[in-house]
Amino acid sequence: MGKGREKKVGIISCSGEECVEGTISRVATRLVLGKLRPNETVTICLPLFLAGGREEREFTRDYPTITVDGCDKMCAKIATERYSGKPASSIVVTDILKNWQCPRLSSRRKLNDETLAVTRKVADRIAEEVDEVLRHWV
Amino acid sequence: MSEYFQTVFDKFELRVRKEYRYTEDDLWVHVEDGKARIGVTDYLQRTSGDVAFIETARQGSRIQKKGELGTMETAKTTVTLYSPLSGQVTEVNRVLAQKPELLNSAPYKEGWLVIITPYDLEGDAKSLLSAEDYYQLMLGKLRSGEGRLESR
Amino acid sequence: MNQPTQKKVIVIPCSGIGKAFGSISRDATYEVTEKLRIDTTQTICLALLVSGDEESLQLVRNNKCVTVDGCPLQCAEKNVKLAGGNLVGSLRVIDVYKENRHLKPRSVTFLDPDGQQMALKLAERIAEKVDDLLGGQ
Repeated sequence: MGKGREKKVGIISCSGEECVEGTISRVATRLVLGKLRPNETVTICLPLFLAGGREEREFTRDYPTITVDGCDKMCAKIATERYSGKPASSIVVTDILKNWQCPRLSSRRKLNDETLAVTRKVADRIAEEVDEVLRHWV
Repeated sequence: MSEYFQTVFDKFELRVRKEYRYTEDDLWVHVEDGKARIGVTDYLQRTSGDVAFIETARQGSRIQKKGELGTMETAKTTVTLYSPLSGQVTEVNRVLAQKPELLNSAPYKEGWLVIITPYDLEGDAKSLLSAEDYYQLMLGKLRSGEGRLESR
Repeated sequence: MNQPTQKKVIVIPCSGIGKAFGSISRDATYEVTEKLRIDTTQTICLALLVSGDEESLQLVRNNKCVTVDGCPLQCAEKNVKLAGGNLVGSLRVIDVYKENRHLKPRSVTFLDPDGQQMALKLAERIAEKVDDLLGGQ
């Protein structure tokens, strides 16, 4: 993996327009990319990836990926498996939330404070997966 | 053999065309029949973002080396472009008015900016970088994080 | 997801995660589907079309679709076309920016005030397009 280049992990989030968990997926991914693990992660734009974006597809073929899906339809995971290969790790937000004591989530458009707090926990979880993937870097 | 020096930074592929010459502020120059075609580099268009507007010196205007050649505007930034040569602008790429995105999608080909008839090509060319030197400069900028790259 | 009881326009943003314009496309779509044209529009996840979700594919094939793209790469338009959707309109955030040069959205994760403004202006354009397509219903 990585062809001797820097250790990086590609994060592919679902676009998730239809539900609040999709927005959580998107925002949590952005928090990892921008704050929690900025030097270790690369954002993969899912629509561009689906449309055949060459850089997106080449990166995901050469580097490990983590998919983050809002729901069990798992669009990001399915797309990654179809166009590049099995992701190193897959996170489904609805599955994570089932195991947590979550407050009532806000609308999909604007995350309230409680939902934002949940989003930050999801981001922490993604960051842990990044660390785990990098630990097993070959 | 490739026409370009190229590198991949994160997921971004950045290219430097081997037959061109370059400035330190990320313009390229290609001399054809004594005239100089000028454009922006892959690095500059990537760090600037999606180009919405491009304005250049008018056809027929005279320009000094390091004089203002034009401006390139994206939602992220407005970049002033400085001429690498003194001369007269003999042609302007009018397609860019309708399709400024060519600067992003084809910076070394269809996205050229202007053609200048230089007053002192030999003299002005001394300060231009070879492709290889510019490539190294670009790598340095990438490592230092000088600009944030955006998806094409 | 329920099938619409009347024909709706399906508004599909690219939601590109790497650029502010992607977030703007998404927010503008919500503005239209949750406020401006709540009875006549609906959105779906773009990725569902590619993953082969049958319900989503039927929706875009049986209704008029408008895509909202963040950049000239136009991923939403491309993907809807590939899915065989009934594409009748394509809008780009950059075209709204060209008419509002004073707005400089910077933030991607949460829209800043300029980003929110641009989303509202884009939403108005989408709503006008929807009205045209439905004949002012």
